[in-house]
Amino acid sequence: MSQDAAAAPRVAASPAPAGRARTPLQLAWRRLRRYRLAVVGGVTLVCLYAAMALAPFLAPYALDYSDRSLFYAPPVGVHWVDARGRLHLRPFVYAYRVVDASLPAYAPDTSRTYDIHFFVRGAPYRLLWIVPGDVHLLGVDAPARLFLLGTDQFGRDLLSRLLYGSAVSLLIGILVVLITFPIGMILGGIAGYYGGFIDNVIMRSVEVLAAFPSFYLLLTLASVLPPTLSSGARLFMISAVFSFVGWGGLARVLRGIVLGIRDVEFVLAARAAGLSDLRVIVRHVLPTTTSYVIVAATLTIPGVILGESGLSFLGLGVQEPSTSWGLLLAQAQSIEALTQFPWLLTPGVLIVVAVLAFNFLGDGVRDALDPRQRVA
Amino acid sequence: MIRYIARRLILLGPLLVGITFVSWAVIQLAPGSSDYFQSLVLQYPQISPQRIAALRAQFGMNQPPLVQYLHWLWSIVHLNFGYSFAYNVPVAWLIGSRALNTLLLSVTSLIAAWALALPLGIYSAVHQYSALDGLLSAAAFVAISVPSFFSALLLLYAAFWTHLLPLQGLTSVDFDFLPWWDKILDVARHLVLPTIALGVFSVGGLMRYMRTNLLDVLRSDYLQTARAKGLPERAVIFRHGVRNAINPLVTLFGFELGGLLSGAAFVENVLGYPGLGRLVLEAVLKKDVFVVMGSLLMGSVLLILGNLTADIMLAYVDPRIRYD
Amino acid sequence: MRGSVLIALVTLAAAAFMPAATGGATAPHPSLPGLPDPKVMLGQPGRYGGVFLDSQQSDPSTFNPILANSTSSTGPLANVFDGLVEANGKTTDIEPGLAESWNVSKDGRTWTFTLRQGLQWADGTPVTADDVLFTFRVVYDKRIPNSAADVLKVAGKPIEVTKVNARTVQFHTAEPFGPFLREIGNASLIPEHVLRRAYDAGQFNQTWGVNTPPSQIVGTGPYRITEYRPAQRIVYDRNPHYWKVDARGQRLPYIDHIVLTIVPNQNALRLLFQGGQADSYGVRPAEYAEFVRGARAGNYTVYDGGPSFGSEFLAFNQNPASGMPDYKLRWFQTQKFRQAVSYAIDRQAIINQVYAGHAVPEYGPESPADKFFFDPHVMQYPYDLHKAAAVLAEAGFTKGTDGVLRDAGGHAVQFVITTNADNPDRVAIGNIIRQDLTALGMQVTFAPEAFNTLVAKLTDSFKWEALVLGLTGGIEPADGQNVWKSSGSLHMWYPRQAKPATPWEAEIDRYFDLAATTVDQNRRRDYYNQWQEIVAEQVPLIYTAIPRAYVAVRNKFGNIEFTAFGGPFWNFPVIYIK
Repeated sequence: MSQDAAAAPRVAASPAPAGRARTPLQLAWRRLRRYRLAVVGGVTLVCLYAAMALAPFLAPYALDYSDRSLFYAPPVGVHWVDARGRLHLRPFVYAYRVVDASLPAYAPDTSRTYDIHFFVRGAPYRLLWIVPGDVHLLGVDAPARLFLLGTDQFGRDLLSRLLYGSAVSLLIGILVVLITFPIGMILGGIAGYYGGFIDNVIMRSVEVLAAFPSFYLLLTLASVLPPTLSSGARLFMISAVFSFVGWGGLARVLRGIVLGIRDVEFVLAARAAGLSDLRVIVRHVLPTTTSYVIVAATLTIPGVILGESGLSFLGLGVQEPSTSWGLLLAQAQSIEALTQFPWLLTPGVLIVVAVLAFNFLGDGVRDALDPRQRVA
Repeated sequence: MIRYIARRLILLGPLLVGITFVSWAVIQLAPGSSDYFQSLVLQYPQISPQRIAALRAQFGMNQPPLVQYLHWLWSIVHLNFGYSFAYNVPVAWLIGSRALNTLLLSVTSLIAAWALALPLGIYSAVHQYSALDGLLSAAAFVAISVPSFFSALLLLYAAFWTHLLPLQGLTSVDFDFLPWWDKILDVARHLVLPTIALGVFSVGGLMRYMRTNLLDVLRSDYLQTARAKGLPERAVIFRHGVRNAINPLVTLFGFELGGLLSGAAFVENVLGYPGLGRLVLEAVLKKDVFVVMGSLLMGSVLLILGNLTADIMLAYVDPRIRYD
Repeated sequence: MRGSVLIALVTLAAAAFMPAATGGATAPHPSLPGLPDPKVMLGQPGRYGGVFLDSQQSDPSTFNPILANSTSSTGPLANVFDGLVEANGKTTDIEPGLAESWNVSKDGRTWTFTLRQGLQWADGTPVTADDVLFTFRVVYDKRIPNSAADVLKVAGKPIEVTKVNARTVQFHTAEPFGPFLREIGNASLIPEHVLRRAYDAGQFNQTWGVNTPPSQIVGTGPYRITEYRPAQRIVYDRNPHYWKVDARGQRLPYIDHIVLTIVPNQNALRLLFQGGQADSYGVRPAEYAEFVRGARAGNYTVYDGGPSFGSEFLAFNQNPASGMPDYKLRWFQTQKFRQAVSYAIDRQAIINQVYAGHAVPEYGPESPADKFFFDPHVMQYPYDLHKAAAVLAEAGFTKGTDGVLRDAGGHAVQFVITTNADNPDRVAIGNIIRQDLTALGMQVTFAPEAFNTLVAKLTDSFKWEALVLGLTGGIEPADGQNVWKSSGSLHMWYPRQAKPATPWEAEIDRYFDLAATTVDQNRRRDYYNQWQEIVAEQVPLIYTAIPRAYVAVRNKFGNIEFTAFGGPFWNFPVIYIK
């Protein structure tokens, strides 16, 4: 038992300079903070994930709320000063006035102001699928609408849909990592640890996977997904598809690392102590790959986010009425969207921001954990 | 070395059988999904069930799935890729009619990407933490964070508004009436947008690799020795640093070689480029099975050969690596 | 023989079949050397020369007109092949084509066609009765899967074709066949001298594929293909042997070349048109206002074709083999339930949001675009939630205090609507319908899915509850028999019935059979009116709205006579560049 506890930090500790009593993790944290971009990325991600968790509370409207008279409405203007030049203590909005329904074109109706209220009661929801509530951060009285980012073809609030859709886009990467990494680590670990025949079998299957043109495989798999009624199940299936394509690369690299350390003293010692092979692999061998795995995970997630957005863009990902950033962006691919309804491009911006944040963070973590080791 | 290559090539056969079998199973055994022929009903309400059955029989798709696969495999051994359901022409012709275009685009974008990424990466590494390095790094990060269909869309609209470049395709409508130099110019003009969409946006990743590799090498002991010997910094960087930093990138080059023909479906679709990606995307959606299988097979062969080339090249440039 | 021609023309009371619109009778009769009796197309005298820049989405799948069955293949071949007769784009009447005249025997079962004298294939070979015989031999060959054979079957039997002399052929149908002329016109004539050898060798299915050198593709149409670059374009030049002339007796067509650019998506079509690299563009309703504003600057005109033929609808599964619980099946089989749903659908919202206001509500199976067969007196279901609730109450449904609608047995009304996810209009309509039905207390899930999955459910497993779908319609209701007859494989709500499950389906079957075996077009119309009224009353398919068709065409062309049926280019041979 004691060996177990000692072994984990041991490898990571080896490059750490002797001296002041800091754990390697603390050192890495100090180094990480020096990478300002990584911090920016991290903070952005914390904000995005917090917004995702609080989506029903932050969203002014429910996922499928729609005002049919206000489709393709531009973002509502938030004002402090009204048409007569009076300053208001609360920010307010004007109601929309339909100018031409066939374009469509809207203008603010400046005859009356509607104050923005905080913590208003609205559509009931369940926070994190558990906590019930009906209080929304922001709201205005009808007939004014708080469409802060405009509406889509059905008059649905884009901001609310972005908030709800973030769950798919932000969770899918993590889900894929949660599926891929255990498989890749165990199989890579076993292959490297045992070598010989087992190694051969695993590595040949990795090669089969690697030899698939992965985009087409992804496409094929996604196009044969059984239709499911719950968006959650569909999300999980899409993650499974990504994982199926993705575990091979990780297994291959880990096998290489494990191959290099399987005859190092502490592994031999663990084996001599009579521990089972599986235990040796899981408790002693794999922990040495921690830094690589953390970095690989941070850099896998943005790839998956991009992949999901691509699939949804092609109509093979998440399906209406649930939504994701990729699906929301797919609505913006026509030229009208660009010329007449540019606010529909915000999901694209959010995808870029999220992916960028993960990349910044991953890059920083990589340098912080081991400045010499580069992930290819 | 030769034994190693031979062994890899021998493994190619079983590997391809494995790959094609998995693809076949995935496409054919999908639960609750119709095949190509059944879908004709919606496109063409007049068609009778007998007609559909006849079509299916014509392509041998009325047999049990495993028999179908073995048939397909058997004809592949005879270099017969079968007929496309949708086009009723040999799959080899369909792929052949687009393969050259995809190859052309891949080569131009590969050249563009490497020609841009290497100098920029070197500059960034040599002038680490300079303002331009920061800017380049930021740009590289943004480039790898933009979905390729999104960037292709943005490029398309940019071209539309500026009227500078052709929007779609590979040749102009009057291409056949042009003298040869105008033909080249015409193709070149059409290649600009897809090359940017496909190539320049991959510069980001490549540049980052080059930068970090070179930084590693420059910090290494033997370069300190070289400096200590009094070699001018220029020589240190280019004669020793860059040469060693490029080595790992060679592997990457091999990977890209393998991907040359698998195309870029997104870019081809948005920019109307007559390449393989469009064909395969369409075939996957329509379940034109032989076309999908043929392209997958070809893509796999190239990928495997590309990996092999990468390994060989790596052994060639890096004397530390030995295969036995 | 002569006598029967006269009688036939008299018995054909329907003006629809009088070959009068050619105008050949009034002007001094033009003729060309070797072609004494060309067809005259009316229009301003035009200029020769120029290029027409066309565009379409996706590649043709074949150049063989017999095997072609998707619009991406039939479109590019429309200018290369002709039928014996053709429809006038303006009047929708059937006119002489390759056949200069025809007659039908008194019993309505024997049709005799006479080919024009001096007709030539594009390679200069004469067109003869043997080509007609060969064409229909191919069509009815069991080894050759083509859709014309399905349409050209009368009472399950092929039409017998016999040669009378080098220019005359006779068609004999087992029973009188109402849509005969229109369907026979859809069959493109193919040259025996080019295709015979391949056919005899059993290779017909592989002939004239997209890999064929274009010079081998020989038709009788105004153009011939000179070049095909996959995924790029098809280039045509004018056929010097074409059999139509202008009013001055000059051989058509006027325009020298057509370049058809192939693009991967709708967006690209639009960019191509706006960038000046295409001369026409099918404007979607949502783009209409914008295109009208840009018409002057872009030097084009946007034509309003009126309501189009296709329409999206909602269908409920009434198939006992669907695996649904009995009570659910009973809701969907209840006429009042379906009627209530029809009342609850806000068609105006669909029109506004999906079609930007450019559509008309639709309640029956035939589009008003089909001026001859459309019945305006079908039952209508204007948006009315109270009415819907009342009709539901009549059928025993009640809305509880919890806002949930339940049937008489206490089952909450709960079902799934699906559609194919790749069609944004259908997804949009499904979304609107889901919201509308929620207002009635129904618990509706909307789950679009992949096209192939949907097809499998529709034709094979039948495991669906409700779906939003659309079918492209045409001018001839008989083409829809696979959908409307209870034995049809696309009789979506309960396909391939051994015998009609309900009295009203039996009625529809009866009217379809009657109309198919009647030659008198006015009587056929009466039968089809009955069918439309039954469908509107029983609402097996709940229709939503018919979008209007718009086409933008550059102003540089002369002789454009736009119609909803024929589009801007139905008279393409006389269209010229000003």
